[in-house]
Amino acid sequence: MQATKPRAVLCEAPPGKGESELSTKVKSKALKEFQEATQMLVNPALQRWKDQGGRVIGCYCSYVPEEVITAAGFVPFRMRGTGSAGTDMADTCVSSINCSFVRHSLDLGLRGEYSFLDGVVWVNSCDHVRRIYDHWKRKIDTPYLRLISLPKKVDEPQVEWFREEVSLFRESMKDHFGIFVSDERLWKAIKLHNETRRLQRQLYELRKRKNPPITGVETLAVMVAGTAMPREEYNKLLKELVDELSQSSAGHSDHRARIMLIGGILDDPAYIEVIESQGGLVVTDSMCFGTRIMWKDIDEKEKDPVTALARYYIADRPSCARMFGDQPRRSAFIKDMICEFNVDGVIAERLVMCDNWTGEQFMTGEDLKEAGIPYIRLDRDYINVGAGQLRTRVQAFLEMMGR
Amino acid sequence: MTTKKLRQYKYDPDTFNRYRQERDYFNFLSGILATMPDSMSQLSKEITDITVERYDQIVRCAEEGKPFVAGYFCAAPEIYEAMGLPWYMIMATPFLAASAPYLTEDIDAAEAMGLGTDWCTACRLSLYYIEAGLTPKPWALIGLIHPCDAGNMLHQAVARNKKWRDVPIFASDPPYFEDQRGIDYYAGELRRMVAFLEEHTGAKLDLDKLREVCRETNKQYEILSEYTQLRRAHPCPHGWGVGGPQAFAATQVFQTGRPRGTKWLQQLYADAEERVKNKTGPVPKERIRYFWFDLLPFGWVFELMPWLEQEWGAVLVMEMFGLQPYTPIDLRNEETIFKGLAKRNLYDSPMIRQARGPADYFASDIARVVKDYDIDLVIWPGHMGHKDGSASTGIMREICQELKVPYIHIGLDLFDKRYTTPEECKDKLSKFFSAMGLG
Ligand code: SF4
Ligand code: SF4
Repeated sequence: MQATKPRAVLCEAPPGKGESELSTKVKSKALKEFQEATQMLVNPALQRWKDQGGRVIGCYCSYVPEEVITAAGFVPFRMRGTGSAGTDMADTCVSSINCSFVRHSLDLGLRGEYSFLDGVVWVNSCDHVRRIYDHWKRKIDTPYLRLISLPKKVDEPQVEWFREEVSLFRESMKDHFGIFVSDERLWKAIKLHNETRRLQRQLYELRKRKNPPITGVETLAVMVAGTAMPREEYNKLLKELVDELSQSSAGHSDHRARIMLIGGILDDPAYIEVIESQGGLVVTDSMCFGTRIMWKDIDEKEKDPVTALARYYIADRPSCARMFGDQPRRSAFIKDMICEFNVDGVIAERLVMCDNWTGEQFMTGEDLKEAGIPYIRLDRDYINVGAGQLRTRVQAFLEMMGR
Repeated sequence: MTTKKLRQYKYDPDTFNRYRQERDYFNFLSGILATMPDSMSQLSKEITDITVERYDQIVRCAEEGKPFVAGYFCAAPEIYEAMGLPWYMIMATPFLAASAPYLTEDIDAAEAMGLGTDWCTACRLSLYYIEAGLTPKPWALIGLIHPCDAGNMLHQAVARNKKWRDVPIFASDPPYFEDQRGIDYYAGELRRMVAFLEEHTGAKLDLDKLREVCRETNKQYEILSEYTQLRRAHPCPHGWGVGGPQAFAATQVFQTGRPRGTKWLQQLYADAEERVKNKTGPVPKERIRYFWFDLLPFGWVFELMPWLEQEWGAVLVMEMFGLQPYTPIDLRNEETIFKGLAKRNLYDSPMIRQARGPADYFASDIARVVKDYDIDLVIWPGHMGHKDGSASTGIMREICQELKVPYIHIGLDLFDKRYTTPEECKDKLSKFFSAMGLG
């Protein structure tokens, strides 16, 4: 592939003009807390919450309407496989053609590492994750389990179906925990989550700078922490971080290219660290620990909060690969991101055995080829970053871009 | 039928060569079967003949500019039949003609397109055929976004494919659990499918015709269900060579709601009944009765299944496509018919039934088949595309342990014999049989 200048192809004018090259990195207390939270399952803030008798509900996909959990007064916790050392126990349940995220997170569950959870909620995200539900149900003693039936299309009948699903979810919370999630509580939670999204977008705005004040590694930590901490506390810390970074003129100037990352579940900053160590600064993404969960807000003007949630999850937010009929919109979203963030090249990562992202990588590749955007597809394992091979592939990619 | 204002596709004589080749391949098989006078070969020949007829019909439609669609066995073929719309599956090759000689070559070509190798080979092949212009371009496409991620992604990729970007596509959204709410919702999706087909083909759905088709299918499934009861006999009257897959082809693909299909099922039943009376099975001595819990390895079926019979006296007593717990459709009114179609296509249809929803179906089907059919061995082939099934392997193993029946998970590609070669499969099975004291 020829070295290309994507913004010349896709975008009208490169953003970030006129900023000076700076190389000072911001040191932030908030950032440190976020980074710590990505390295463990139960971070100190979550532990404090538990110590005070707070409840935590695991969520197996970014399509779980977490606002309902927050509205019940609980902390939604995005399931991960952080800290897993092997998959021996999970391997008695699933097979080697199942993705490593599934094997590691199930293994942790089977080993009792998720005993801090009061419940786990799934959607039928993919063929692998939906089976964790089946095994969990049979083997792990978590008091509350629920699988929400998530449509695979993004049209009005699907919004309506999901509205009912959210209602049933809310009812089941009442049945199990005795907590009625009133509309009022739901609106409050929606506002709180929208506030998170707004702050996260502000953080991403800063990455549009010529010399972004925050790296991809750091940003991922911020995003992952947002799925593992009590929400108010997270928002407070995030505001601190955004203010700090906004006021600072420090930034990363020592990169060779601005990279956009695309894919599914990536919660390990070590992966991005390898990319950035080669000079590929990750400035934006379409990931489920990234823009897809915060680029749009839930409409607070909608009359009914359950409808607002359903419409947001099904139709409004940037969709996941599994949503049929929405690929052109996803592709357009990626192209917009490339322009807005002045991206030089796109890296698509996927976990081996993942069909959703295989198909999506293929289609995105075809679209970006047509648009003349440098693009590379990388396979990975959930725990083992495979630094050596990744480094080589990234180096080759940057060289191919003429960087 | 009015075809006013409908898009007409220009016929290109150089396209869909593979489809034509497939028709010729079936013709060839039919010729061979004609020389074999035994009843099982003759039953197979009838299915091969009706397959050729459908291929011919689609080719004619394409050549003459008449509407035809691409659809699926589990996406209400009763409706296409009632609308008078000839249809075919874009997955026809892997599902129906995978033993054709060009398959390996095509799998390599699909790989060269850059399609990930851990993506179901059936999907890769289907996308390759479209990309390479080897499959007929329909007036409208009914996609399938369940039971697996692979199929969902295939249909998204087909929709974005340059060559087919102008082919309108619709796919019904599957609810996850089996309940009345799910049936009602899916019935709504099927109604939307009808509206879509009417818009893009000009064909209209007549309720009386649909009722007539459904009435005939009710008959077909009743006979099929009686036939499957006969397979409980010792010895099992038929083996892998005739039964479920052909019955599936008749009821759900080529003869949905047609008397000829019903007649074929009656013949199948009569043949099995005769064999049960005479205590005749496919092998002289039935030593192992196995449940093959998937599609047959269509890509290399002749290299494994006869060996199982000859070498081990192992008889396929039941497989996924023969296991059809069909509920008759209530023909009273439009609503009952659509709900019946929803139930049948979403919750009863083979493979869709097991793979779409929770893993309980894997467990309950095994329990039922093992008990009802006196099964000695459950084989989960573990097709590389069936990620949800292989993610249920622990549940299947446990249920087999409870039932005290051996369970083996092979790990293969139903279409590409290079993934796990037939020899490797045989070796694995032989060792397992010996270790379990089977045969
Ligand atoms: S990476 Fe793919 S297979 Fe694994 S959990 Fe995510 S969507 Fe499912
Ligand atoms: S994985 Fe199975 S159900 Fe899915 S496309 Fe392949 S063969 Fe079909």
